[in-house]
Amino acid sequence: MTLYTVDTLLTLVLLSVLFAFGSSRVPSLIKVMAFQGIVVSIIPFFITPHMATGAVIFTIATLVIRGVLIPLSIHLAIRKVAIQRDVAPIVGYHASLFFGLGLIVAAAVISRYLNIPSISDSRLLFPAALSLLVTGMFLLMARRNAIAMVIGYIMLENGIYLMGTTFSVRARHIVEFGILLDVLAGVMIMAVILQNIKQTFDDVDTSLLRTLKE
Amino acid sequence: MVEMVFITPFVTGLLAFVLPKALSRQLLVLTGAVHLVLSLLLWKNTPQAWFAEYFAVTPEGLLSLLVISLLFFLISIYTTGYLAAHGLKSENIFTGFMLLFLSTMTMVTLSDHIMVLWIAIEATTLASAPLIYTHRSGASLEATWKYVLICSVGIAMALVGSLFLTFSMELGGVTAAMSFSALTPVAGQLDPAWLKAGFIFIVVGYGTKMGLAPMHTWLPDAHSEAPSPASALLSGVLLNCAYLGIFKTNKIMVSAGLSDFSGTILIVFGLLSIVAAATYILKQTEYKRMLAYSSIENMGIIALGTGIGGLGVYGAVICMIHHSLIKSSLFLSSGNILMAYKDRLIANTGQMAKQMPKTFVAFFAGFAGISGFPPFGIFIGELFIIMAAFKTGHYLAAGIFIFSLCVIFAGFARQVMAICFDTPAETGTQSAADHKNFPFKEPPGMVWPQYVLLLTSLILCFFIPDALYQTIVDAVHAIGGGLQ
Repeated sequence: MTLYTVDTLLTLVLLSVLFAFGSSRVPSLIKVMAFQGIVVSIIPFFITPHMATGAVIFTIATLVIRGVLIPLSIHLAIRKVAIQRDVAPIVGYHASLFFGLGLIVAAAVISRYLNIPSISDSRLLFPAALSLLVTGMFLLMARRNAIAMVIGYIMLENGIYLMGTTFSVRARHIVEFGILLDVLAGVMIMAVILQNIKQTFDDVDTSLLRTLKE
Repeated sequence: MVEMVFITPFVTGLLAFVLPKALSRQLLVLTGAVHLVLSLLLWKNTPQAWFAEYFAVTPEGLLSLLVISLLFFLISIYTTGYLAAHGLKSENIFTGFMLLFLSTMTMVTLSDHIMVLWIAIEATTLASAPLIYTHRSGASLEATWKYVLICSVGIAMALVGSLFLTFSMELGGVTAAMSFSALTPVAGQLDPAWLKAGFIFIVVGYGTKMGLAPMHTWLPDAHSEAPSPASALLSGVLLNCAYLGIFKTNKIMVSAGLSDFSGTILIVFGLLSIVAAATYILKQTEYKRMLAYSSIENMGIIALGTGIGGLGVYGAVICMIHHSLIKSSLFLSSGNILMAYKDRLIANTGQMAKQMPKTFVAFFAGFAGISGFPPFGIFIGELFIIMAAFKTGHYLAAGIFIFSLCVIFAGFARQVMAICFDTPAETGTQSAADHKNFPFKEPPGMVWPQYVLLLTSLILCFFIPDALYQTIVDAVHAIGGGLQ
C-alpha cells in the first residue's frame, strides 16, 4: 500500500521534471522547485512504517527547509529585484522537453542494471532521483538566467537528497541536518548574490558576467 | 577538547561582527595566536574528541592543521597592517568571515566522518564567499558568483560520491561507522563497483574545490578578486583542505586494493592541471592571476604525486606544505604590489627592485621557491615525485611533468622580471628618480610575515623536527607511500 503511495508521489516528481524543462518563466520554475522540495521531503514518511520521534522531527525540519524556506528565499530575492522575464535558454524549450523525456527513459533503464541496495523496493526511487539530479545540471548549463541557475542547483540538491533517502533513515540526524543547513545557507548566499547582480548590472543574464577570462 | 580548536575561532568570529573596528583587528591576531597554541597542544598529546564518532586527530589532519594555524597567524599580522594602510568599508564583515573561514577549515582537518567532512568543506565555501566580494565591484561580484556556484555544484558531486560509499557499505554488509578511520581497515569488504564510482565523484567534487583542471575555472577569478590576505588563505590552505578529502578517500581505495584505479585517475587529473597551468601562465597579463595559475599547477603536482604512490606521496605532502608557505607569502607580497601601483596588470608595474626593495626580496625569493629552486622545499618534493615516476615506469607522465615545469618557469620568470626590473609602461612619472615620492612605504608588519613564511620553508628543507617527520611518514604510510 505505502509503496504505491511512494511510487505515485515519485511519478509526480517525474512529471514536474518535464515541467521544469518546459517552463520559460522564473516564477513557474520556483513553483515546480517548491513542489519537488515538498514531495522529496515527505517520502521518508511513506517508506519507513514506524518512525522514531527523532526521525519525525528531522523529516518535518526537512519539509520546512526544502519545501518552504528555500523556495521562499528565492521568491523574496526576485520580488526585490522584480524580474518578470524568461529564463534565457541556450537550448530551446522543445529541445529541452525532448531531452527531459529521453532523460527519464534513460534513468529508468540504467537503474534496472544497477545493483542498488535497499531502495530497490520502490522501483521509481532511483530513476526519479537521477532525473532530478540531471535536470538540475541541465538548468545550470542550458539557461543563462542566474535565477534559473540557482533553481537548477536546488533541484540538484533535492535529487541528491532523494537518492540518499534510505541513508537518511539510517544515519545520524544531526549529520543530515548539518547537510541541510549547508544547503540552506548556500541558497541564501546565492540569493544575496542574485540581488547584487541585479543591482550592479540591472539584469540577471549571466552573459554579462563574462569579463574575467583566462 | 579537540573540538575547541574550531569552536574558538567560530565564537571570536561572531564576536568580530559586533566589536569596534580596532578591537576586531586585535581579536584577529589574538585568535590566530590562540589557535596556533591549541594546534600545537594537539601535537603534544593527542586527546580524544568529545564526539569521537565525527572528529578524530589523524596524521594528515595534524599536518594540515599546523600549516593552517601558522599561516593564519602570520596572515592575521599582515592583515592588521593591510587594514591600517588600505581600510575597507565593511571591515567587521571581513575580519568576522576570516575567523569563520579559519574555523571551518580547522573543522575539515579534524573531521573523520565522511558526511561531516563534506559539511565542513561546503562550509568553507560559504564562509569564504563574502571575503571574495569584499571590494564590491562588478568583477568581484562575478568572481563570487562563479566561486559559489561552481564550487557548490562541484561539492554536491562529492556528496553523491559519499552516498555511493554508503551504497558500497550496504552491499558489502559493512556495519562499521561511516568514518574514514573505521572504513579503512574493512575497505576490502566494500562493494568495489560503487566504491570506484564514489571515488570518481569525490575526486571530481573535491577536485573542483582543489582547483584541478578542467574544473578550475573559478580559481583564478576568485584568487585575483579577493583582497590579498584572503587570497593568501584561499590559495595557501583552502586548496589543501579539499585535497585532504581526496587523500582520505584514496586511503580507503588503497586499503581496498584499488590503488591502480585511483592512482590512474589522480595522475590524469594532475597532469591535466599542470598542462592547463602551463598554457595559461605563458600569456598571463595580471600578476595575481599568474599566481593563481601557479596554484593550479602545484595542486596538479600534488595530485600527480599522490597518484604515482610510494616516494611520490611523500613528495606530494612535502610539496603541499611548502606550496602553502611560499604561495601565501607571494600573495601577501602581491598585496603590497597592488597597493603600491594600484594596478593588477603586469605591464603597469615595474622597477619594484628599486621602489620597494623589501617586498622585492620576498617576492623574488618566493618566485625562486615556487619554481622549484633549491634551497626551497618544493625542489625536494618535485624531485621525489619525478624519481617515483621513473621508478614505477610512468615515463610519459614524468616527461609531460618536466616539460610543463620548464614552460611554467619560463613564463613565470618573464613576468617576474617585468615586475621587478622593467620601467612602467604607462606611468613615466613613477621612475626611479622620484623614489622618495613613491606612494607605498612598506610598513614592517606587511613585510616580515612573508620573510617568516619563506624562512620556515627554507629551514624545513634542511632540518625537519622528528615529530613532524614522523607525522609525515605516518600520513603517507597509510596510502602506501614511504621513503623507498
